Amino acid sequence: MPALEMAQETGKIVSWLKQEGDAVSKGEPLLEIETDKAVVEIEATADGVLAGVKSREGDVVPVGVTIAWILAPGEQPPVESSISAPSARKVTGQPQAPSATPAPAQTIAPAEGGARISPKARRLAKERGVDINRIRGTGADGAITSEDVLAAAETPPLSAAPAQAAAALSAIARLMAERTTQSWTQVPHFYLVREVDAGALLQAREELAPAIERERGVKITHTDLLVALTARVLRKHPKMNASWAGNAIQLNPQVNMSVAMAVPDGVVGAVIPNADGAALGDIALQRRDLTERARSGRLRPADLAAGTFTISNLGMYGVDAFNAIIAPPQAASLAVGRIAERVVAVNGQPGVRPMMTVTLSGDHRVVDGAQGAVFLNDLAEAIRAPGETLRS
Amino acid sequence: MPETRELTLGEAVREALAEEMRRDPRVFICGEDIAEAGTVYKVLNGLVEEFGAERVLDTPISEAGFTGMAVGAAMTGMRPVVDVMFGDFSTLVMDQMVNQAAKIHYMSGGKWKVPMVMRATLGATRRSAAQHSQSLHAWFCHIPGLKVVLPSTPYDAKGLMKTAIRDDNPVVFFEDKMMYRLKGPVPAEDYTIPFGVADIKRAGTDVTIVATSSMVQVALGAAKLLEQAGISAEVIDPRTVWPLDEKTLVESVKKTSRAIVVDEGYGRYGVTAEIASVIAEGAFFNLEAPVKRMGAMHVPIPFSPPLEDATVPTEQTVFEAATALCG
Repeated sequence: MPALEMAQETGKIVSWLKQEGDAVSKGEPLLEIETDKAVVEIEATADGVLAGVKSREGDVVPVGVTIAWILAPGEQPPVESSISAPSARKVTGQPQAPSATPAPAQTIAPAEGGARISPKARRLAKERGVDINRIRGTGADGAITSEDVLAAAETPPLSAAPAQAAAALSAIARLMAERTTQSWTQVPHFYLVREVDAGALLQAREELAPAIERERGVKITHTDLLVALTARVLRKHPKMNASWAGNAIQLNPQVNMSVAMAVPDGVVGAVIPNADGAALGDIALQRRDLTERARSGRLRPADLAAGTFTISNLGMYGVDAFNAIIAPPQAASLAVGRIAERVVAVNGQPGVRPMMTVTLSGDHRVVDGAQGAVFLNDLAEAIRAPGETLRS
Repeated sequence: MPETRELTLGEAVREALAEEMRRDPRVFICGEDIAEAGTVYKVLNGLVEEFGAERVLDTPISEAGFTGMAVGAAMTGMRPVVDVMFGDFSTLVMDQMVNQAAKIHYMSGGKWKVPMVMRATLGATRRSAAQHSQSLHAWFCHIPGLKVVLPSTPYDAKGLMKTAIRDDNPVVFFEDKMMYRLKGPVPAEDYTIPFGVADIKRAGTDVTIVATSSMVQVALGAAKLLEQAGISAEVIDPRTVWPLDEKTLVESVKKTSRAIVVDEGYGRYGVTAEIASVIAEGAFFNLEAPVKRMGAMHVPIPFSPPLEDATVPTEQTVFEAATALCG
């Protein structure tokens, strides 16, 4: 199991693109692995034949554990007495770190806080191939008893039909489905809507664009400007930039702006780190690079890691306003609608102004309406005076 | 049809001794207050009249002395039965039993044997306070060369006592002082019960209660309560804790998947620990719950009746433990 990120401890096998016994050549896609940030295709590291596949699709495997071998002609996979991936065991709590002395397979007690199961029930579950993770214990203190295992053995898991439908989804689509469901069902969302006059924003873009294009070779977009402005406003609102840590609020020292980007099968949040201190030109360059790689499916896990606040702009699609789903553990997200000319009151008279609606989504465990409103107010001020904010 | 009468446990022990003394002139008894007094529990009443003061020998208060004398007598061909009034006085006989009786056969290269029986009492709840209420049989189980017998019924007491007297090795025979008046059927004819054979006192399917001595009666009482609660308890009495009938215990727990071990000795490092370990090793992959041990609390046995009663297992506490175990 390769480590794709610094802090990665486990990886989930999404699918094997090659089967046991298939010939593979170096650089050919071998399998898909999901980290908690992304789904990544892993390429074969050598020419040979795929053999000794130990981990099946859906397994969560600690980094560093052998999941398969690529054999040269005439080679055999090494005989291993005890090393094996903890297949089919869902990792709960602390993942098992790769260890020089691997634990013997199948005799490990559940992690503390894991399912309580009697030795008899554990033996029966193994004999009958019952996944103890799907059993609710009825014994003393909720322990899984042999009766529970036998009952579970008679009620097989849901049929293969839905599983096939899920397999038909691309990895990124499935990941999106999982993450949005998790957020929508677990994060208490609230929304604040604000209309802002985008006149100064348009003007700033016109003024700043030529120099940046000349010097950096990149055209700045409204999104670039909004990323830069929002990041700078977030500096003054650390709670909007915080993370929900399960039972505590964790303030993040960096402002890493995650920009929602469409990819063929869904949407990902590509991260521009330290955007609060980055020059507009740098932000534009990074945003362009990420967008291009997102479109061609070449984003790396690191591109999607450690965002602290998300901006999602659907203005280019003509959307006036929308509510974004928060990307946990982030505390908030900004949904940006189109800039459209509207008749509004200007100094007590009807006037036509370029207006834009921004909608803040907040995780009510971390922030509340009043805090969100103050943040939105500061953001509206920044949009009304972009030059001043960018110099700050 | 052989005659079977109801005898008390004390009468059964006395009958076994009397029959063995009639059968074998080498058998004699020594101890404190055993002749005219017939022991403090009157278990040996009448024996001195039948066998005389030479074979029912009153001794001074000198446990180490008369136990050592018995070891010597056994080595020279007699078959002594030593009466230690309270098991608590085991402290005084330990050198004779552990370093002499248990070792002579081995150290003499098999030339000497020590066919003696040490009788002693155990058991609490007689309001006898901390120095006369302990159950110290586990000490002897720890010593290779000693056999340890714990009868729980009059029938077992008689049959096991005869086996003990006829055994060519030192045997320690513990009687619960609270069981001397327990009545039960005892055949009049000669019979023996082999060591190392457990007895299933009650068959059941949901939980195995392994119990020794008077705790067998406690377990049987608890089993009745459990039956009313819909739990079928199997009660097994090992009868001898060394040798131990491991097979019967393990087979029972393989069937029931749950086990409680009840013994009146101190729980810590006691008989329950050994038996629970045997069960855990033999029936681990059939266990539905941890093996539960119940023994005397790790305290001096109190004199205060309410406190003393709370110190040792009862029908109610065994019942509660079993229902908790069965979830």
